[in-house]
Amino acid sequence: MQSKTNTHLQDLDYLFFDEATLRQFIVYLQTRAEVIAPHAKGERSYMYKPVKDAKEVVLNYPRTIQPLKKFFLPPTETLLTFKLSDNQYVEQTPEPGKRIFFGIHSYELQAILRLDYSFEKGNPESNYLTRRANALFIGISYKPDAYHFGKSVGIEIEKTDGFSLFIEPMENGYFIFIVDEAGRTLLEGFQAPQTQALVFEQQEKEFHNKIKYHHNRLPEVFEHAYHSDVWKDVSQRCLGCGTCNLLCPTCYCFDVRDEIELDAENGTRQRFWDGCMLHDFTRVAGDEVFRDKLHNRTRHRLFRKFKYITDHSGELSCVGCGRCTSFCPAKISIVEIINQLIKDVSEVKSI
Amino acid sequence: MEPNETKAKDLYYPLIATVVNVESLTETEKRFSIQLPNDKTLGHKPGQFVEVSLFGFGEAPISVCSSPTRDNPYFELTVRKAGRLTDKMHLLPSGSKIGIRGPFGNGFNVQDFEGKDVLFVAGGIGLAPLKSMIDFTLDQRDRFNRVIIVYGTKNPAEILFKREVESWQQRRDVEFYMTVDRADKNWKGNVGVITTLIPPLELDVERTVAAVVGPPIMYKFVAMALKAKRIPDQNIYMSLERRMKCGVGKCGHCQINNSYVCQDGPVYNYVRVKELEEAI
Repeated sequence: MQSKTNTHLQDLDYLFFDEATLRQFIVYLQTRAEVIAPHAKGERSYMYKPVKDAKEVVLNYPRTIQPLKKFFLPPTETLLTFKLSDNQYVEQTPEPGKRIFFGIHSYELQAILRLDYSFEKGNPESNYLTRRANALFIGISYKPDAYHFGKSVGIEIEKTDGFSLFIEPMENGYFIFIVDEAGRTLLEGFQAPQTQALVFEQQEKEFHNKIKYHHNRLPEVFEHAYHSDVWKDVSQRCLGCGTCNLLCPTCYCFDVRDEIELDAENGTRQRFWDGCMLHDFTRVAGDEVFRDKLHNRTRHRLFRKFKYITDHSGELSCVGCGRCTSFCPAKISIVEIINQLIKDVSEVKSI
Repeated sequence: MEPNETKAKDLYYPLIATVVNVESLTETEKRFSIQLPNDKTLGHKPGQFVEVSLFGFGEAPISVCSSPTRDNPYFELTVRKAGRLTDKMHLLPSGSKIGIRGPFGNGFNVQDFEGKDVLFVAGGIGLAPLKSMIDFTLDQRDRFNRVIIVYGTKNPAEILFKREVESWQQRRDVEFYMTVDRADKNWKGNVGVITTLIPPLELDVERTVAAVVGPPIMYKFVAMALKAKRIPDQNIYMSLERRMKCGVGKCGHCQINNSYVCQDGPVYNYVRVKELEEAI
């Protein structure tokens, strides 16, 4: 094993795998646990799914459509099953199988760490925590496209926090960095071919999408953002479809609904993803809708990412994945919204 | 690799309770007396709520209308028919089983009212959550100074808790005022919106602490009326209605700005209400 390179990954030991070895490593991991990794879905879309054939795993991808949260907070989840006739129920708990998430970008794991805060704090939720306690993550660096802005929210491409291993693809193979003891253990069990004596050199990767202020100053921007005209301007174009909520890796709002089977006797209580951009999100029994206006819902969504949760957790709840922008049918850009807020604030200050 | 078991609190599993009594209060409201399994008491504070579930019909937050001073062995919920779950609830005979989670929320902090002139302002079904606090006050009457109840409904047919209302009217240690928005031919009392009852009240403003519950539209106008009486902001408490779906601070539906109503509320001091721009 090599060690001590002269970059910010410098403190980590590493191996070098060629393409074939890396695929063998995936096959080896499958003998240890279920392996979930990015796959192609159509020509230019990607999704995480359990690996069937290690050759199908995609290592060079901008982002998946659905975020990794779907494995910890499933889009629909049965909380309990019941029988209508006797009003009794049976608790449903997740199967706590070990899972290895392979080829994950730094913003995605940072999003999981933010969900950890929301599901551990206050009233810890056992379904989430069980799935979380059985997950290992193997990261990979990526080349930012027009939508990524991780650096602007303090999440570098090579941020390794939470990963066990971290992969840096090179022209002729992959550096595999050992981040924690679980990662070291995974590698020790793998009969890797003799490692070449290569020295890792950091590649420069530029973000094209940037927030104008340092992320430390964003809470300050949101102190002054509540009455901005931006919200109404954006809502002129917004369709209120909630795609940004559903695809956001840190959005976790949910609704609960009872489903009855056709036998009119058995049923399930299901939790499913909900989104604060949807009109009826705040509707109560008397038909009052507390955030009736689209611009109020847009503001609420952004404040949840940059202020409301941040005030308690100390972390921004936006991780810069770019999904809400790249998949928005109205092409609304979260970075443009924030840069406009920054412009408003700096103009007020200069008066 | 061996899987890890993680056991946290089971947040979403209700207790299966029994409806021991059902009483019709109006055409659209019924009062349910509920007994938890194994004679467990709910252990709530006035102003708290529970999540009621009927399997197949879902789950909804309902305020507890009985005082904890009386919740042994039953507690009470007043439910308006307003949707699938509550329509079904109205069909339940006594002896039926229902799911209960909770109690949730902060409730009223009794110490804030102790030794004070307590002014209750209830609009419509807002009297249900407020009744838990009113009954508490009356059961421990010595702990409070004046007790003033101001109650308004749309029309006489919607008056809740007629038995209790009558006893409040008769008690000499309770000052009770009521109005209806629209009278019927038998109505002999006040006619007008609830805020018309506030200006004539003679209040020791420094000593008065108000508890306000009503429909969303009411809060702003009651706050204005109380401010016109020069009651300090910090002496006004409001219980706010929102969609408290999970009750445990997760699902996001009840959030007002940075506050989860199911955790920080539903009872808010007016100082805080003014900070929360979406509150009223």
